[in-house]
Amino acid sequence: MRNDGPRILVIDDEPQIHRFLGPALTAAGYEPIRAESGHDALRQAATRNPALILLDLGLPDIDGHALLPRLRAFCAAPVIIVSARGDEAGKVAALDAGAEDYVEKPFALAELLARIRVVLRRAGATEVAANQTPMRIGPLTIDLDRRLARIDEDEPLHLTPREWKLLTTLARSQGRVMTQHQLLNAVWGPAHVEDAQYLRVYIGHLRQKLGRVAGLLRTEPGVGYRFGELDL
Amino acid sequence: MADEPPRPDPDTLLALAAKEGRGRLKVFLGAAPGVGKTFEMLSEGRSLKATGAEVLVGLLETHGRAETAAQLGALPVLPRRRIAYRGQALEEFDLDAALVLRPQVLLLDELAHSNAPGSRHPKRWQDVEELRAAGIEVWTTMNVQHLESLSEDVARIIGIRVQETVPDHVLADADAVELIDIPPAELLERLRQGKIYRPEQAARALKGFFREGNLAALRQIALRRTADRVDADVTGYMRANAIAGPWPAGDRVLALIGRDATAEDVVRQARRIADVLRAPLLALHVETASATDRFDPAPALLLAERLGAEVETTVARDVPPAVLAHARAHNVTHIVIGRGRPAGWRRLTGRTLTATLIRQAADFTLHLIPAPTSVPGRVRAEARGLPGWVGWAAVPVLVCLATGASLVADGAVPEGGLGMIYLAAVVALAAMFGPMPAAAGALLAFLVWDFLFLLPRFTFALSGIQEVMGAAIFFCVALLLAGTTGGLGRSVATARARVFGLRRLIELSRKVSAAGSAGDLVVVVAQEAAGLSGRPACVLLPLDGEPVVRAARPVDIEPDTASMAAARWAQAKGTRAGFATDALPSADWQFRPMRTAQGTVGLVGLRMSGMATPMDAEHDRALDALLDQAAIALERAQLMADQARNAARAETEALRSALLASIGHDLRTPLTSIRGALETLRLSGEALPLAARDDLLATAEEETIRLTRYLGNIVDIVRLEHGQLQPKREPVDLGDAVRTAAERMMRSSGRRIRCDIAERLPAPRLDAALIDQVLANLLDNAIKFSPAETEVVVAVRRDGPQVAITVEDQGSGIAPDMLIHIFDPFFRVRRGDQAPAGTGLGLAICRGLVHAMDGRIAADSPIRDGKGTRMTVLLPA
Repeated sequence: MRNDGPRILVIDDEPQIHRFLGPALTAAGYEPIRAESGHDALRQAATRNPALILLDLGLPDIDGHALLPRLRAFCAAPVIIVSARGDEAGKVAALDAGAEDYVEKPFALAELLARIRVVLRRAGATEVAANQTPMRIGPLTIDLDRRLARIDEDEPLHLTPREWKLLTTLARSQGRVMTQHQLLNAVWGPAHVEDAQYLRVYIGHLRQKLGRVAGLLRTEPGVGYRFGELDL
Repeated sequence: MADEPPRPDPDTLLALAAKEGRGRLKVFLGAAPGVGKTFEMLSEGRSLKATGAEVLVGLLETHGRAETAAQLGALPVLPRRRIAYRGQALEEFDLDAALVLRPQVLLLDELAHSNAPGSRHPKRWQDVEELRAAGIEVWTTMNVQHLESLSEDVARIIGIRVQETVPDHVLADADAVELIDIPPAELLERLRQGKIYRPEQAARALKGFFREGNLAALRQIALRRTADRVDADVTGYMRANAIAGPWPAGDRVLALIGRDATAEDVVRQARRIADVLRAPLLALHVETASATDRFDPAPALLLAERLGAEVETTVARDVPPAVLAHARAHNVTHIVIGRGRPAGWRRLTGRTLTATLIRQAADFTLHLIPAPTSVPGRVRAEARGLPGWVGWAAVPVLVCLATGASLVADGAVPEGGLGMIYLAAVVALAAMFGPMPAAAGALLAFLVWDFLFLLPRFTFALSGIQEVMGAAIFFCVALLLAGTTGGLGRSVATARARVFGLRRLIELSRKVSAAGSAGDLVVVVAQEAAGLSGRPACVLLPLDGEPVVRAARPVDIEPDTASMAAARWAQAKGTRAGFATDALPSADWQFRPMRTAQGTVGLVGLRMSGMATPMDAEHDRALDALLDQAAIALERAQLMADQARNAARAETEALRSALLASIGHDLRTPLTSIRGALETLRLSGEALPLAARDDLLATAEEETIRLTRYLGNIVDIVRLEHGQLQPKREPVDLGDAVRTAAERMMRSSGRRIRCDIAERLPAPRLDAALIDQVLANLLDNAIKFSPAETEVVVAVRRDGPQVAITVEDQGSGIAPDMLIHIFDPFFRVRRGDQAPAGTGLGLAICRGLVHAMDGRIAADSPIRDGKGTRMTVLLPA
């Protein structure tokens, strides 16, 4: 089955994973490329120009964490990490090293496809306009030009400058997980990347002000935060 | 030297540091009863209490003195403990209550008091030591005549020997000594007024102890003692603070403890000399071959120990060189010796110890202690335990025997030769009864020989120069033989005893090192201790700090409850306790600690009561040597057990984490595949071609099988690791088992497996199901890790007392550094892309199964041309 959908490089050493992901991705309109080792993955990424990379962190020849920067060196395609549950530190390290998102084994296919869509949309959007305004996330509207955020037609939210910065940072990466490190760096600056307690306090304030739509701001335990819903 | 800033003396600082944490000791020292020690102690105690300190009166003896009782005031008094002893109710200081109450300061009257039988310590000063060790400050009272080193002087002055004594080191160790002094006249006046004793007692006291001369002398002693102490305090302060000053030269005093009545006096005198010089005291006893029958030096050695001397016993042939060597080696400057009563001939020849030392020890100051005026008669105990008269009675008997033999031989032997028969008699006397009977025998034999056989016969006259010369030579040789043979005999006896001791030690160390576990060791130690002491013995090891009997000889013997209290004491303090010791001496058992640098590893208990004979020194020493060896061996055994436990724990930990990691990976991957395949079918099954749908279903099915196998493996490995696998034992036809497994594997894999089965194999008693599982795992591995076109060979043959099953493949083999790990659970050899997935449990399970059947499993790789792996299973035939 041939199609012109975006190419997805699947890097996993387990043949069984390829056996079901291949047909599943094809059916969803993508073109899967198969790589069973780190070296194979580097070769395929260099020659086939994938639109997205699905990377299992547990490879036999090159450790996933070591492979990620080598891929990044020549390939701009966003990377979704496939990892085991319980390895929160590994996920954070991969996300901080430039991965876009992650899924945990055993993952639901629908969730994987939704993540792939989010990541591909974001990658496409950057080329058109990074700061499309106003942004709409469910019932929440964020007008970057007028520095206004409101839920449906309610009164605009009263946000401090810091809360506004945090909300817009999260909103720009909507649907995608952001590590504490990344958020602290973007909102407070590189000097405060270790001050996780700032983040906890401001996330709390923000949730309070978001009121009935607070559910949009979800915690990814041990990893970071995710804003917005997944359209499964 | 002058440039260097003075530094505090480390030893003094150390001694000060050792005092920290210990309760202080203050002694109210007096020269006589009634000077007001208790009065002063109570009065100071009250003023201290007024400042808010917790002061408790542990025990008070007012002797009915009203003034003293009035001083008690509001000070709380500890109730006395009642002890029932032989129908009497005795009252004693309650040490345990004091330890529980833990006052800041405890007032305890009469330091020299001897506790009632059944108390923990025989002496009150030992109670005080324990209180101080617990951090309680103790104030106490004492009269100077109770001081151990002064008891001799005091006895001379007042004519009464004081029974209750306190070792000098207790007073020396006191943080403060307060002298309560009143002039003798005033004391006598108080006595007359009835302030000290009741009138009738006072009258007696005035005639006896309380004579003015006595009081004056005692007062002088007390004052001098206190003055010495003040001096020592100042010196200690100066040393601790590095104040330069004229130091006493590095004097060291050596007390020479001989086998005579002066020994204890020597020790006391040496203590006093050492005190005056503020010099350390050493004591030495030289054990010689020729001195086994005189005074027992043990009491003097014990006294020296109590007086704080560094005691040593050596064995030497000759005393003076040994003394000088010891003295030089220890930088001794003063030697104190007793003027004993040496054998007469030594005194005549100037070969007494004293004379020799005076001649040779020019670089030492010698102190001679006079022999006591009334020396108890010398105790004679002959070498073989025979009474002394036997030796003398044997003299005429042996000479008569020799005469009889000579009469028989007369004529056949020249008369000169007959002398040899008499010499033989002298030698026999010397060997059996020592030099004195032998010398007498020599004289008698000479006279008889001369009278009966030398010409002219039947006169004592000698006929010519030849006879005179012969007779003279005979007499000299006989005397010489008497001396040397006697000494020789005893040397042999001493040497034999020492060889016996050495052999015993070697035997012991052999047994002790042969006992591998602590369990075997305690049995050996109990047996040896019982054998050495000739008494029931047991070994106790601490369990949660409580000593528990672990082995006993005879097997069913056990210390009674009262003795176990002594055992707990010995365990807690690491010292001897129980019978004839300082702690709980009324117990029937004595406990000796087995100590190493790490502490007390256990105890040996001996039932001492009811035994007529005390243990002799030789066996006592051997027992102590046993304890030392046993302590080290026990410690080693315990360390090894700990190590094994830790290793086992580490292994379990490693397995647990490997198990977790494996479940994380190996369970998740098939689950992901199954879920993914099913979801793909549900979400987009319509869009997929039929072949793709079939493949997805096949994926799900295969992964389910893989999961099942994986779970089975996990259950197996957990069962094996917990030792829950009990193999059946029934005769197994191994040839058949191998053929069956190979055929099944060929069917499922389509690979060729060659079976090489030897003729006439035994049918070992094994578990057929486990053998099948091992074979299946090994064959599966061989097929997985070798190219499809190659052959796998499985062989069975007899190998000595075992049966060997080998499985060989022609795969790429296993790297040497991996080979040692392949039987570890969850270990997987890094492999190429094509290799099939495994869980890393197969070989670990094989090893577990084979071990459960008392077999072994090993891997060899490469086996030929740098390729191939051979797995060998050895099972008992």
